[in-house]
Amino acid sequence: MSEQWRLLQTGYANAFANMAIDKAILVAHSNEKVPPTVRFYGWAPPAISIGYFQSLVEEIDINACHRLGVDYVRRITGGGAVFHEKELTYSIVIAESHPTIPKNILKSYARVCGAVMKGLQQLGISSEYAPINDIVTDGRKISGNAQTRKLKTVLQHGTVLMDVDVDTMFSLLKVPNEKIKDKLIADVKQRVTSIRHCLGKEVSFKQVAGAMKGGFEEEFHVDLIEGVLTDEERNLAKQFENESFSTKEWNQRR
Amino acid sequence: MSHMQSRSIYKVPQGKLLKITLDYDETKNVITNIRITGDFFVYPEEALEHLEKKLKNICLERKELQEQISSVISKYHIEFIGLNAESLAQGIMMCVS
Repeated sequence: MSEQWRLLQTGYANAFANMAIDKAILVAHSNEKVPPTVRFYGWAPPAISIGYFQSLVEEIDINACHRLGVDYVRRITGGGAVFHEKELTYSIVIAESHPTIPKNILKSYARVCGAVMKGLQQLGISSEYAPINDIVTDGRKISGNAQTRKLKTVLQHGTVLMDVDVDTMFSLLKVPNEKIKDKLIADVKQRVTSIRHCLGKEVSFKQVAGAMKGGFEEEFHVDLIEGVLTDEERNLAKQFENESFSTKEWNQRR
Repeated sequence: MSHMQSRSIYKVPQGKLLKITLDYDETKNVITNIRITGDFFVYPEEALEHLEKKLKNICLERKELQEQISSVISKYHIEFIGLNAESLAQGIMMCVS
């Protein structure tokens, strides 16, 4: 019989709750309170997440975010700024010692990305891993991923782009050189794609989630059993949301 | 004392975008404060703050910087992805060139 992991479908939540839930699962799993967990979620309102090492004010036009009703949050993972709107976001939490997870960090990125790629394949999209942390189809990015390792536990989360709005994204992000902004936007439009663009039709969040569930099960040879957050995880998430992710101290720490 | 502040943006070859804000004493040629930001990965993440602290009062010479960075990397068992000691030294030196 295949190993059973937990699947959480937490639906849409705001940026602070979303990042707090991923961290709560990491802590709960590190205390051996919950099985390895795969989670699918979305963002409402839309939000920008920045990498742990990025400077908030250097990356984000905060006034534009307020104007457009877009939240912003600092992740516990490194990597770059992401505009989360029409996408499915996954996370996976699993012990570093689990035999399915390569000790080598880059190899473990590739392994988890393998699950996303198999999920995309179920939708009819062939893709490949593009180190360090992207998945591309026909050379264009369709997924970005970021991993942290804390408490002997791996947390990797990433995006699966269902649709993309580069113009809105750039109205929210700062660029190092305003003079070349138009060229940068044109470049990014060439380099990024989405499920909708690949298939020429809208695919629902539910369909993408179904495909990704299959992808994770196939890659890791496990059964994903739908579950819910434990009370302890929900309390931890509330605590992380209030004490860090929603605070100025956390979000502006760099 | 002559305090200066300078910034650099450096695309690490085959890596990520490194942004440095450097405060330094021009007379003594030493770092007084440094903030290292960007879209790279550091494991464990908290180690980057140790590195920033350990670069204070270090001389703005490429060789010395690289040695100090390497020694902090090995002391704290830091793993960089999309960044390395050489590129960090490069980004810092770009602030003063």
